[in-house]
Amino acid sequence: MIRNSRIAIAFLAISPTLTGAWASADVVAVVSAKSAVQALTPNQLADIFLGRVSRFPDGLLAVPIDLRDGSPERDQFYAKITGKTPAQIKAYWSKIIFTGRGQPPRAVPTDLDVKKFIADNVGAIGYIDAARLDDSVRAL
Amino acid sequence: MCRKLARYVLGAVLYPVAIIAAAALDEPPTSMFTFGAFGTLGVVHSDQPLADFTSASVEGVGAGHTHAWSAAVDSLVAAQVGAQITPQFSAVLQVMSEQNADSSFTPHVEWAYVKYQFTPDFSARLGRTDLDVFLLTDSRNIGFAFTFVRPPIELYNLVPATNSDGIGFSYRLPVADGTDTVEASIGHAHYQYPISNSQVTDTADASQLFTLVDAFQRGAATLKLSYGQTRLTVPTLEPLFDAFREFGSQGIDIANRYYSSDRMVRFYGLSAAYEPGDWFLMAELGRVNFNSVLGEATGWYVSSGHRFDKITPYAIYAQTRPNTSTRAPGLDVSALPASQAPAALALNAELNTTLATIASQRTVSLGARLDVASSIDLKLQWDHTNLGENSHGWLSNLQPGFRPGSSLTLVSATLDFVF
Repeated sequence: MIRNSRIAIAFLAISPTLTGAWASADVVAVVSAKSAVQALTPNQLADIFLGRVSRFPDGLLAVPIDLRDGSPERDQFYAKITGKTPAQIKAYWSKIIFTGRGQPPRAVPTDLDVKKFIADNVGAIGYIDAARLDDSVRAL
Repeated sequence: MCRKLARYVLGAVLYPVAIIAAAALDEPPTSMFTFGAFGTLGVVHSDQPLADFTSASVEGVGAGHTHAWSAAVDSLVAAQVGAQITPQFSAVLQVMSEQNADSSFTPHVEWAYVKYQFTPDFSARLGRTDLDVFLLTDSRNIGFAFTFVRPPIELYNLVPATNSDGIGFSYRLPVADGTDTVEASIGHAHYQYPISNSQVTDTADASQLFTLVDAFQRGAATLKLSYGQTRLTVPTLEPLFDAFREFGSQGIDIANRYYSSDRMVRFYGLSAAYEPGDWFLMAELGRVNFNSVLGEATGWYVSSGHRFDKITPYAIYAQTRPNTSTRAPGLDVSALPASQAPAALALNAELNTTLATIASQRTVSLGARLDVASSIDLKLQWDHTNLGENSHGWLSNLQPGFRPGSSLTLVSATLDFVF
């Protein structure tokens, strides 16, 4: 355990752009600055965004927010957390929607909308271009 | 009684959904409603002109005998309206047009139910809902949702019903870094099926239909176990056993073993899939025991594919195997008066014809899915099927000269869409 955190610290020290185990310079998952959620694994993120779980690991109700279909950040985010293409994600949701089991997360056009939505909902989680991070949200 | 209840439940569900749908047309759509549609346009060619290939045993006609190239086997279209009435309360209505047992495309109500979400992880559905058995049972009509042209019939034909009228509960819980979903349902299903080589259809009735499904998902891995049971009546077969009962105790013994009215049918499924994104491995095994002349059979397949950008080539190996004998000696003619012998021989032949409908076949399939646009795909698939000894497999509309145990090759092309 101690050894692992040492490795993690060393890793962070040599890669200052990394803010979490999965993050890269381009797209980062973000939660409200007021949220207690600190880190999520790619599998945990995938479960939340694919509607497989309804809560964060600490029990808080998770409200995912998507960028619209066709947005490059969206495609990059899903590729990173699920390894799937936009067509595969669409195929996945087709099954959920047309068996009446659920609906995909609400989708908004820009990362400004994502940040606004997250500012209003402490349980909200989205993803934005890392260059657009500000004080209202926290990158995971 | 059960059927009456099912009709009442369906009516009670359809009525508010219809009102909601009508209201939605009068006013500009609000976020309360969701509309969607999906479909498949497909053609399939069979090189076996003396029988029909169909993608489900409840379809009237297919490729081979009726049409060398058939568009009726895989094509379908469906529309769905959903309404989120309150945060907890929602309703879904889906209407589908696909080939029916009488080979018409008259639309039917595929789903119509109301759902109450007690908590984000516990919900109940009342009305006509999907019958959840194997991995693709609930989505077998939504071509865009899976890789193959059609779910392998060697497994999926074992349970021909796609929906059930009743009530179901779903509970989801986190387990071992994954999610476990338990679903239980009780209901009633009935489905039209064609009577081979005739224009007539009949209705099979599955009452006291109970299913229990457990699905575990962790990352790219899915594991699913299912159990179902129902009391099934296949009325077409009954006159045969009434006739056997006329032949004294040996006839009654045969009838009691094979009759098909109100028989307890049990089915089991075990499914596993690993789909990390650019490749997949899927395997499923199912078994159904009809406890009647329809026998007991096992179906399974294993499939794998790899995605190269927008194209995903794949291969499937699938098999249906009977677990019970597909032949029976029938009445012992030597123990009967000579005058009854011709009738007894005719009944024995009819019994063996019916037993031979327990399918035995294995199929190798090669295909590819091409994602041409964000909500359209194109698929091509080649299947080679070897029928089991003395079996006509899942083929129907057999013509004079057809050789059981032969083989056939299919070529299929489909276009799937969702919007």
